[in-house]
Amino acid sequence: MKRRLFVASSMAAALAGCAKATNALNDWEALRPALGSVDALDHALIGTRGMAKLYRPADVTLDYPVNSLDTPHQPEYLQLIEDGYASYRLPVGGLVERPQSFGIRELRALATLDQITRHDCVEGWSVVGAWRGVPLGDFLRLVRPKPQARYVVFYSYDHDGGGQQFYGSLDLEQATHPQTMLALDLNGKPIDAAHGAPVRLRIPTQLGYKNTKWIRNIALVSSFADIFGGNGGYWEDQGYAWYAGI
Amino acid sequence: MEATAGPTLARAGARSDEPGRVVRRHSLVTRATHWVTFVAIVVLAMSGLQIFNAAPYLDASDLSDPAHRVLSLDGRAGTSGSVGTATVFGRTMTTTHVLGYTDDGMGGETVRGFPAWLTFPGYQDLAAGRRWHFFFAWIFVLAGAAYVIAGWIRGDLAKLVLRPSDLPKLWPMQAYYLRLRKEPPDHGKYNPLQKAGYTVVLFGLTPFVIVTGLALAPGFDAVANPLIALLGGRQFARTWHFVSMLALFGFFCGHVGLVVATGFVNNMRSMILGSYRLGKHEGTGP
Repeated sequence: MKRRLFVASSMAAALAGCAKATNALNDWEALRPALGSVDALDHALIGTRGMAKLYRPADVTLDYPVNSLDTPHQPEYLQLIEDGYASYRLPVGGLVERPQSFGIRELRALATLDQITRHDCVEGWSVVGAWRGVPLGDFLRLVRPKPQARYVVFYSYDHDGGGQQFYGSLDLEQATHPQTMLALDLNGKPIDAAHGAPVRLRIPTQLGYKNTKWIRNIALVSSFADIFGGNGGYWEDQGYAWYAGI
Repeated sequence: MEATAGPTLARAGARSDEPGRVVRRHSLVTRATHWVTFVAIVVLAMSGLQIFNAAPYLDASDLSDPAHRVLSLDGRAGTSGSVGTATVFGRTMTTTHVLGYTDDGMGGETVRGFPAWLTFPGYQDLAAGRRWHFFFAWIFVLAGAAYVIAGWIRGDLAKLVLRPSDLPKLWPMQAYYLRLRKEPPDHGKYNPLQKAGYTVVLFGLTPFVIVTGLALAPGFDAVANPLIALLGGRQFARTWHFVSMLALFGFFCGHVGLVVATGFVNNMRSMILGSYRLGKHEGTGP
């Protein structure tokens, strides 16, 4: 009996040691850049090619999951909910020839893209939604990115518990992919507050965490190194890869 | 396997089988890629389970669908007692402390699929699991490619690939192992069953585990829609990836187990220094 107890407790110690070892390796900050270096290889290999599969209306997931920070509760966003987004303006600035802002009606007039695509979450699950919105490539042609512009940065109304604003970015190739859009409708209705109203990003060739919800303003930049954590997005600053096609 | 060592080695190039003679066995590329692959498979399997834990279920469908769930690890923490369960093809088993509700890697227990000692890192961190997984995926692919290309150039690969002429010898070899036959059938450096195993692993399982992993990437799917459809969709590909990982890991355990069982000292010596000494510890290896 004593012997069995000894075997059991040494096994438990060995197993606990296993987690300690992998935790320590993961906490070794010097390894991070080496591990992250393959993101550039993944981006080069997989890139932004081809077209995401188009689904049929019957495939749509009716109970579309909400998996993000909480719906913004800042007064400026609550005000928008209250007036039905009538006072919403989407300013576009930074490295553009024609900085301007768009209201919901103007955006609706530009909404020419209907697509039913799969949303792949970084956690591993998949759902399908029917989206309608403004092709981001068309939208960018209106504001005319300057030659030095390389990235489109999306700032959200959303903030995490620590007050950090949510944001994300795409390069111009990803932004002008014909399936990338500023979405206004989900499953035939204007997007509701929980799903990112009134305007959210929809990019079916990338994972869900790139699909910035509750877009507040857009900026074109040559580099995102000096924006917040410097990794090009809220989730990227938490350690997720900037290239999310994988 | 030990019994076949003598004649096999003689054909493999040893001029004499006198004890103490040193025999060249593995090239530098074979040794280096084996060690690198060993580490890569361990990290890939463990970081893969870390990633799995973010959505601890597998579906046999394109989209996530509880109606097509083949595996689900669930748990709940409660003041009146915490419970972990594993549901496989609809059959639920209580697995508290092992699966579903288990070791959190920080000295406690929590609701999570696989326990911390099986994941990389131990604590729950999806972003970290992905970093390790994708880094070692490249290492795994590059080491595998180096092994196959070097083996092809040296001609070693030809010795372990199953050929049509080996097919009639598969059963006699199995019969020999089952002691239904006194002598193994005539064969080269590797016997027909070894060749079958190596061929399936190198040119079947390994490409499959890579392709089903890539199938989870939305960027890859955009250029390979028909392939994803062939796999049954994205969630099905996730299930295939898990199943093929189990099969590959099964081979890995058997392979390493045979290293131990067929003359550990000489096998390790061969895999580190490239050669081994004839004597008590003979073996054609795993």
